[in-house]
Amino acid sequence: MMLRLLPLLLFVVGMSQFAIGAWIPAKAALAQVLLERAWQNTNKRGERVRPWPWADTWPVARITLPRLGASWIVLSGASGRTLAFGPGHTDGSALPGERGAAIVSGHRDTHFASLRALRVADEILVERTDGTQIRYRVDELRVVDSRSARLRDPGIGRSLLLVTCWPFDAVTSGGPLRFVASASAHDDRLAMNDSPR
Amino acid sequence: MNHRTALIAMAAALCVACFESSQKPRDAADPSMRLASALPVLEAAAEGALTSETKQRLREQLSEWKRSAKSGTLLLREHGAGELVAGPTLATKVEIDISGPLARSRVSQRFHNPGDTWAEGIYVFPLPDDAAVDHMRIRTRTRVLEGQIQEKEEARKTYERAKSEGRHASLVAQERPNVFTTHIANIGPGSEITVEIEYQQSIRLDGGESSLRFPMVVGPRYVPGEPLSEGVGAPGGSGRGWARDTDRVPDASRVTPPVRRPRFGPINPVEITVDLAPGFEVDEITSPYHDIVIDEAGGVTRVRLAEGTVPADRDFVLRWTAAPGSEPDAALFGETLGDDHYALVMVVPPNEPNGLAEPPPREVVFVIDTSGSMAGASLDQAKSALVLALERLRPDDRFNVIEFNSETTVLFPVALHADTRNLRRAIDYVRGLESQGGTRILPAIRVALAHQHASRSFLRQVVFLTDGSVANEQELFEAIRRDLGESRLFTVGIGSAPNSHFMRKAAQFGRGSFSHIGKPEEVSEKMERLFRKLESVVLRDITIEIPGAEILEQYPARISDLYLGEPIVVALKLDDAFDRLTVAGRTGNTPWRIELDRDDVKERRGVHVQWARSKIAALMDARLGVHDERTLDELREETVDVALAHHLVSAYTSLVAVDVTPERRNYEALRSHALATNLPAGWDFGAVFGMAQTATNAGLRIAIGLLLIVSGCFIRMTREIE
Repeated sequence: MMLRLLPLLLFVVGMSQFAIGAWIPAKAALAQVLLERAWQNTNKRGERVRPWPWADTWPVARITLPRLGASWIVLSGASGRTLAFGPGHTDGSALPGERGAAIVSGHRDTHFASLRALRVADEILVERTDGTQIRYRVDELRVVDSRSARLRDPGIGRSLLLVTCWPFDAVTSGGPLRFVASASAHDDRLAMNDSPR
Repeated sequence: MNHRTALIAMAAALCVACFESSQKPRDAADPSMRLASALPVLEAAAEGALTSETKQRLREQLSEWKRSAKSGTLLLREHGAGELVAGPTLATKVEIDISGPLARSRVSQRFHNPGDTWAEGIYVFPLPDDAAVDHMRIRTRTRVLEGQIQEKEEARKTYERAKSEGRHASLVAQERPNVFTTHIANIGPGSEITVEIEYQQSIRLDGGESSLRFPMVVGPRYVPGEPLSEGVGAPGGSGRGWARDTDRVPDASRVTPPVRRPRFGPINPVEITVDLAPGFEVDEITSPYHDIVIDEAGGVTRVRLAEGTVPADRDFVLRWTAAPGSEPDAALFGETLGDDHYALVMVVPPNEPNGLAEPPPREVVFVIDTSGSMAGASLDQAKSALVLALERLRPDDRFNVIEFNSETTVLFPVALHADTRNLRRAIDYVRGLESQGGTRILPAIRVALAHQHASRSFLRQVVFLTDGSVANEQELFEAIRRDLGESRLFTVGIGSAPNSHFMRKAAQFGRGSFSHIGKPEEVSEKMERLFRKLESVVLRDITIEIPGAEILEQYPARISDLYLGEPIVVALKLDDAFDRLTVAGRTGNTPWRIELDRDDVKERRGVHVQWARSKIAALMDARLGVHDERTLDELREETVDVALAHHLVSAYTSLVAVDVTPERRNYEALRSHALATNLPAGWDFGAVFGMAQTATNAGLRIAIGLLLIVSGCFIRMTREIE
């Protein structure tokens, strides 16, 4: 009797796991569509717009990787709840597009999955809430151990750090390694080269 | 073994392994160990009866995984070898002398420079939040140099001048009432210099128990706000800490000393000796967080650490109770300096049950901190304390639970009655809480104090469970003061190194009281004491009268309401010596008064220090809510005056000691080092400084799901063939 029901049981449990698993990327994709509207309103009104009434986060920037054809709305805060909907901007770091280092984290298996194909010298476009756009260039790609490494602020001009879990196709979540892409604003670099030493 | 059983066993093993490793990633000390335990199971699975494609995929995943584990350790080493130049090391000796309700302490910080270049040491350390620091001296092999009190900026210049001229110099400055910085310049190669700091504080009496807390480490604090742009290009900003100055915490880099990674082992050993002469017969002496040895000699009780020295990674607390019948009920101290007469009054009010009818039903809002700094032991203590508190509520009470880290989450939209169902929900919710993210307290305070009009017939109490690991205390006090309304706020400091300044002042502005929980065994006892305070009637309208002398200045000027077991402590400045003193107040509707006369007055040194420290605290409090620029300047001037007159370190005055003869010749280089501190005991480095979790378990779930479905079909098929 037990053995007769076993295939059915495995099938049901398997389906539910599959459904839960499939819902995660679906939600991540769906949220970005909803966020697009909130972003348009943010641009228009120039203030924080919550994408849905009970949201505890709001869009702070849009990041586009032209070569990879990827674009996301970045949300405020980098908690697990926020990252389910979009890449999150770490509290306390500079805002994307402002002076200082802006840290943006994303899930390696949803939004930031495309970072795997990122290369040095790639262009990153950051659109701020006021609609202005800033061009960044990827300077360095690194893998760090989050238990010992701290993301350092290069301290020069505007920089952007995109952080995601590494390796990209590990089976379980919660690993200690992070992939970090650091980019700096194009204009700042030009200005630096021009300025006298 | 046939295929079927093998498959089922394998699927089960795989699920268990994956579940375990994804459940609590921070539990294991070393994640590579976690990885190692999961690998054999998966390898076995890969060799089992799987479709060749799945097998292949699993194998690829495994090799990928192994590679990553390896590069992880390589990376680790690379980042671990950061400390190339050996900076000065520190050993601290603390001698505390308790006499009656006051304690004088001497903290000797011995800096040793093991390197071959001249060194400057910068050490950020905590002292008790009511410490009145009044002396500092440098002790070198040959000389003793006494420190002078100067205005902060002037003291810094004095120090910088001596430093650049190669002379021995030391500067002790206050960053927060409980955070100080020692600068020590020109420690010669291979040599040693000791900086001695002396302070006075009062003993805390609560519920018949006296206690003294000596903090040893400034825990990493959450710094909100946008980085100040001036900091760009100049690493560190105004100080040498790991945080950058921000618009909301402009001195963040001065209160966030570098933190040593726990796996490199503890540093900063501390030796503690306490001489205890409490003025009454002692029943029991305990030290909840350290093992102690107690010696009796000549009427003085000497307490030492059993281990000799301990790493500076958690608060040292000493508690003692009076033998039955010898409990102190009042103490009165006087001191005359020139024409000025100072008095310190301590009175334990009569502890009578009030004859009132049932107190009104209460609305209790519990606020629990679930930020990264609470991860591990602290959160467990906070959770069990909160569950106890919930179970204690009566059915006609109302309650709500607010959780905060980087975000604030409210359990119920409005406070609900404490019936079985609601309590069940709340307790389940609390038990399931996990910690991550920043200590963003401000929104939690706002939410906890909002919408009070709906609860006018209730006695509204807010109980705040946190370690107070924030650098924006001032901003929070302002919010509490502004939004408090008719609520009362009680703080419970959690963990091994709580921010006691935050606990005390938040409770003061919240017109409640504060307590501490430092280990799981203390939860029920400490919470019981808090419940009694929450449930009893306060002591109000406390006044002090002295016939025959005029009170020139009294601190605190208005004595706040007292909760059960708390004593009245007031510092006075009088125009004349006095004979008699009356303390009066009301418990509920019952008035009471206590009279003390000349015979009760004991002359003693240090009373003026206590008075001056209380005055400075009152002046700093007055800055909150005052927005007139001129008034702020006046307050500052008054603070400087009293601090200079009484030789005290304050927010605007520092102690500085300099030598006259240069030691370092000007062609020799001086290297500056910010001394590292330990991570507070029980804290999780990764949870505080770690990065966001940037992976979901979507892939894993899909894989497990597919595996189960496939094995289900497989079993079915093999059975049909049979």
